[in-house]
Amino acid sequence: MRGEITGETGLSGKKLVIALAGNANVGKSVIFNYLTKLHQHIGNWPGKTVEKAEGTLHFKGYTVDVVDLPGIYSLSTYSIEESISRRFIAVEKPDVVINVIDASVLERNLFFTLQLMELETPIVIALNQVDVASKKGIQIDFEKLEKILGVPVVPTIAVKGVGIFKLLEKAVEIFEGKLEAKPRQVKYGEEVEERIEKLAEAVRDSGLPYPARYVAIKLLEGDREIQEEVEKSKPQAAALARSLGEELERLHGHSCPTLITSERYQAANCIAREVQKLVPPVKPTLGEKLHNVTTHRVAGYFIMAASLLSLFFFVFAVGNVFSDILTSLLYGFKPFFERVLGTGFFEELVWEGVVEGLIAGASVALPYIIPFYLALYFLEDSGYLSRIAFLMDSIMHKMGLHGKAFIPLILGYGCNVPACLGCRIMETQRERLIAAFVTTLVPCAARTVIILGLVGRFAGIQWALMLYAFDLLVVFLLGRIAFRILPGEPTGLIMEMPDYRLPHLKTVLSQTWFRLLEFMKIAFPLIIVSTFTVKLLETTGILRVFTSLLAPVTVAWLGLPVETGITLLFGVLRKELALIMLATLLGAADLSKALTPVQMTVFTIVSMFYIPCVATIATLVMEFGWRKALVITLSEIVLALILGGLAFRILILAGLT
Amino acid sequence: MSSTADTGVSEVPLAMLRDGETGVVVSVKSGYGKAWGLKKRLMDMGITPGTRITVVKSAPFHGPMEILVRGYRLAIGRGMAERIFVRVEETRAGCAEK
Repeated sequence: MRGEITGETGLSGKKLVIALAGNANVGKSVIFNYLTKLHQHIGNWPGKTVEKAEGTLHFKGYTVDVVDLPGIYSLSTYSIEESISRRFIAVEKPDVVINVIDASVLERNLFFTLQLMELETPIVIALNQVDVASKKGIQIDFEKLEKILGVPVVPTIAVKGVGIFKLLEKAVEIFEGKLEAKPRQVKYGEEVEERIEKLAEAVRDSGLPYPARYVAIKLLEGDREIQEEVEKSKPQAAALARSLGEELERLHGHSCPTLITSERYQAANCIAREVQKLVPPVKPTLGEKLHNVTTHRVAGYFIMAASLLSLFFFVFAVGNVFSDILTSLLYGFKPFFERVLGTGFFEELVWEGVVEGLIAGASVALPYIIPFYLALYFLEDSGYLSRIAFLMDSIMHKMGLHGKAFIPLILGYGCNVPACLGCRIMETQRERLIAAFVTTLVPCAARTVIILGLVGRFAGIQWALMLYAFDLLVVFLLGRIAFRILPGEPTGLIMEMPDYRLPHLKTVLSQTWFRLLEFMKIAFPLIIVSTFTVKLLETTGILRVFTSLLAPVTVAWLGLPVETGITLLFGVLRKELALIMLATLLGAADLSKALTPVQMTVFTIVSMFYIPCVATIATLVMEFGWRKALVITLSEIVLALILGGLAFRILILAGLT
Repeated sequence: MSSTADTGVSEVPLAMLRDGETGVVVSVKSGYGKAWGLKKRLMDMGITPGTRITVVKSAPFHGPMEILVRGYRLAIGRGMAERIFVRVEETRAGCAEK
């Protein structure tokens, strides 16, 4: 067993913490999955909505904890991801950082490596995708790279598991002190270097968790977070940084952050040139041809429409089948249940309050989330997602979002739950929130049942279509408003379009599985508690009281029959049930006898907007916390009531009944 | 007709370049207030003064531009492309692809 990567518990208590760091799209998650296999835990970084993936493995008697840091391009504080990664490396001090770099985009990857080295942490470099690079005509002399950087470099092909073992070996050797990894520091230009040294001396005892040289460089680079901290602990050093920065600006005619960034890139460029040989291939690769077609100004949109439609149908065809199977399977337990608990008040409460909640969770959410995650990771890992974002950017911009938000929005038409989870593809917290907010306003399949089954069937399909159009308008307007109201900078698209590649199936499967577990942990308790509460209120008759309390809203403001109150309350659990309940309560399968066209329209508008279902609320809680989930939920209730009431009055005024 | 016909300093926003044209970055304007972060982000992605950028294509409806920079493909929004000032290096008759 010695020297094997296993998940079994080692006997010795030797611990090793490894962090994986690197740019996005370099195969970091493939390496992570290869290392940790089924021993993963996916959660969030404390207090942040940035995913934290951790896992354990056992290697040469060590229990190795692997932390997969977010994929980033720099170590400044442009994004939450960057500051999380930096803090983790500097404060938690992992024993070894494995820096995964893409051999086919060496220069940009080295720009990040150089910053990691400035943090003076022990590093092993995984020179990944060497196969892809050589297909692109890029040959890298990794031994030379090793010498220049002063850290071990291991060529890897993560998707095939090549080099991973060696990577771990090197990490252990560094930890045991058998291998020296003394990262060489980047030398900036003479004028810059002089001032870095001077400033480093001044911040040496600033109490910040970073090396003095790093603090000095970041101060000159204009890093806000570090500037603020130094301002607090050593104001004279901050003042010195400003005056040194001004000197440099006078000398070079560029702002100091520009100067530092340029010089670091210059260093990365020199290293890359020295270690790589370029023999550009004569023929464009298949990936390049695919790229040209999928971003074409005409063909690109057709391909996008076709792919998204198939994605949509894949998710919902698979979802429907499994949803039906699960529902009938789980309901099959009912006779057994009745035999055990008898048929009485208690049985009814447990069955309808707890078990049905579970069934709803299992049969509504899971069957759709699984294929959705699979499809989403497939799109993301293959690189196609970035092409869609490229094509849709200008349209989504009108809503204050950029191209990537198009994906969750489209998915919202199927089910809001995976759509909200999909908002993670947005870069900033603010964009995630806006995207999730507008996504919950998109009529999902359950709301489509109401739109088509009520208005479409009894009032005419043209009314149903008008409601869809109306919904789009509301989504658009509210997106714009949210964009204006929420603080933060308007973000533009700055997105790498990585080369196309075949997604790594095992990684996609494990990403799906561990995120599904995370979802179940958070959503199921909430679904069960709320189902139980509604059921309890119903069996004890309190729900009737609620319904009459709601009468001023339902009857007076919305002009609906009083019974609709109850269905709207139940609709929070499962919206498509609202329609069935309405028919039962009104005692008419033909709803056109019980409701006027205006009432149908109003009821549908309210159902469309008033609240995402409980599973969606659970997702919002998971993604954004209780407070924001509550704000979204409440504002949508208010919105639905305003729109419903206005629609009622306008339609009546328009002479409809 | 072409931007090389300009007299004096032919410093133009990247957004003005046509498909297939290459420019060398002269400066990145941060614009007003909070956009500082964006400028830093652009530079972190490799768009620093002196860097060669080739415009590959632009998305329709005034959409983002696809550029080649430091050996990789980057998509940047129109607004950003207007802040990056370049000196046009050479002009090709058009994209060989078409």
